[in-house]
This record gives sequence, C-alpha cells and structure tokens, in this order.
Amino acid sequence: MNLMKLFARKPKSSGVAKQRLKLVITQDRFDANNRDIKQLHRELAEVLAKYFNFTMSAAQMSLKKEGNSYVLVADFPYENAG
Amino acid sequence: MGKVIVVTSGKGGVGKTTSTANLGTALALIGKTVVVIDADVGLRNLDVVMGLESRIVYTSMDVIENRCELSRALVKDKRVEGLMLLAASQKNNKDDIQPEQMKAICTELRATHDFVLVDSPAGIESGFRNAAAGAEEALVITTPDVSAIRDADRITGLLQHEGVEPINLVLNRLSPEMVRKGNMVSQSDVVGLLNLKLIGVVPEDREVIASTNRGIPLVHNKNSPGAQAYMRIAKRLTGQRIPIPELREKGFFSNILDWFSGNK
Ligand SMILES: Nc1ncnc2c1ncn2[C@@H]1O[C@H](COP(=O)(O)OP(=O)(O)OP(=O)(O)O)[C@@H](O)[C@H]1O
Ligand SMILES: [Mg+2]
Repeated sequence: MNLMKLFARKPKSSGVAKQRLKLVITQDRFDANNRDIKQLHRELAEVLAKYFNFTMSAAQMSLKKEGNSYVLVADFPYENAG
Repeated sequence: MGKVIVVTSGKGGVGKTTSTANLGTALALIGKTVVVIDADVGLRNLDVVMGLESRIVYTSMDVIENRCELSRALVKDKRVEGLMLLAASQKNNKDDIQPEQMKAICTELRATHDFVLVDSPAGIESGFRNAAAGAEEALVITTPDVSAIRDADRITGLLQHEGVEPINLVLNRLSPEMVRKGNMVSQSDVVGLLNLKLIGVVPEDREVIASTNRGIPLVHNKNSPGAQAYMRIAKRLTGQRIPIPELREKGFFSNILDWFSGNK
C-alpha cells in the first residue's frame, strides 16, 4: 500500500495552483463587491415581498462552494403560518 | 502632456522597484523624458537600484513642505539623458503624505515629461493610495505564484474602482523550465485568471541581482534576457506593437555560448 503511494504520480503543482487560484479569486471578488451584493439583496427582498412572506431579518446571500465551482445562494426563509 | 503610470502589486517583493528602474531607464534610452518617483516613503529603494543614492539632496517631502522647488528636487541620472529621480523621504512615514499632494506633484511633472513612473510600496493602504492618486494608468506586477497572483487581482479591483485605465500586467520571474515541468503556472494561465492585458513577461534572471549590486539597471546590459524583456515592454508603453513571445528555455547551444562568454 505504502509502496503504491510512493510510485503514484503526484498531480502537477501548477494545475493545483491554478484550480486553487480560480476559487480564491472568485471568493475575493465576491467579498470586494460587497456593496453591490447588499444592493442586490435589498432589491431581491423588495420583489420577493410582493409574493411571499418571509422573515426579513434572517435573509442572507452567500457564495457556496460546490465541488470545483461556486454557486450564489440567496436564502430567504419562508414565514411559518402563525 | 505625458503619462503618469503607477507600478504596483499588492504583494511585496515581486519586482516593482526593479521594474520601475528598468522601464524608466529603457524609456529614456529610446529617447523619452522620464521621471521615476519613489513613493515608498520610509523604505526607499529606487535610489539604490538606480545607483543614485549618493546624490540625493531633497525628497518629495521637501517639495510638499515647501523647502524646495520640484524641479530642484529631481536627481539627474548619470548614465542616460532625460531620466530623473524624485526620491522618497526616509525620516517620514506613509501617512505623512496626502493623496492630493502626490497628485499635485504628478500633475506638474507630466506637463514637462513624457512619462512619470511611480514606484508604489507593497500593500493596499495609504502608501498605495498615495502612489496611485496621480496616476491615470497602472502596471500591475506579479510573479507566477499563488499569493502574488491573488494579490494582483485584489489590487486590480482597487485600481478599477479608482478609475485607473488601462491597467497592464507584467509577469515577472517566469521560469520556462519550471513551467515545462509542471511546477509553475504558465503565462496563459495567469492571463486567464486575471482580467488584465499582458504587456510583457520578464524571465527569472540572475543578472537582476548583479545589476542591483552594482546600482546599474539591467537594461544597460543589452544581452541579458531580462533586459531585452524590459526594453520590449518600454517600447509597448510608447505604443509600438511588438508581439509577446512565449518564453523559451535556453537551449543547449545558448548555454554553450554563455559558457564561452563567461556569462554562465
Ligand atoms: N526577474 C527577476 N529575476 C531575478 N530576481 C529578480 C527579478 N525581479 C526581481 N528580482 C529580485 O527580487 C527582489 C525583490 O525585487 P524588488 O525590490 O524590485 O521588489 P518590490 O516589489 O519593489 O519589493 P517591495 O514590495 O519590498 O518594494 C530583489 O532582490 C530583486 O533583485
Ligand atoms: Mg520596492
């Protein structure tokens, strides 16, 4: 088993670097655009409020990692019937 | 009316000062009038890289505090006509200068020179903000490693926010051999990651250190690959269209030639 590991080819470090950079730069750009994200959040909330009741204070937007990419997640908790 | 270009990077030690000294010298060698400004207040280095440290009398601080006129604070380069240095004060720190004051200096200098290159300190704080304040264009320097590339992207965002345009990318210290072996990201990888126009690639070159030791910018030694790369970038800055070659490893033949010329 250990012998197998020894001979197994390590992935080229440049490929690993590229993949890591893609992710970290995406996250950095998202954070840097924080003001725009907040604005988007407000606008989305306004539109959604026309159709649904949701708990405004718990709403949030974030970037979620899925495998080798990111997805934008808008989380607007639906208000339970009282 | 000349151009004011800030040379910046985010991460430290990637070659901002080396690039400022060499591009300033290269531009002067092709007949342009140039002022290089050291904006690294408190940690100045451009003077030693250019070999002008013994001739500095006044700094940008003396100009800002009205102890000396701007034209008198400029130090003439000894080797090339048309090249001047405005040194940074060593006794002050980065918060002692305001962006408007740097901007005023740049505005005055661009009226009488073709190029004003501003060597920015590392970081994204006040030192960087001052260096970028008077600039309309930028050169972002990066090396092919993860942290430098990441910081280059961050600084690019800040420059774009300030309306600096165009922002060109210089990829420094590329080693074609390491790229081939898969241990360094390539020129096209870096361009793909950063949304910037590449203006040149400078290879890893031992002559850089030797030239800094001597205080003679690399571009004076026309044979070195680094010097040739900087000369090409300078020409591109003047608007000449020169294609960017993919850097190659030195072949067997050029290694032999180096050996005979004692250049190994
Ligand atoms: N192409 C190159 N090949 C080899 N060495 C290099 C190259 N470019 C820069 N260096 C070396 O890297 C070191 C850092 O360079 P330099 O001082 O220009 O970086 P800097 O970005 O100005 O640093 P700082 O952020 O501290 O101001 C120096 O020792 C320099 O000689
Ligand atoms: Mg420096």
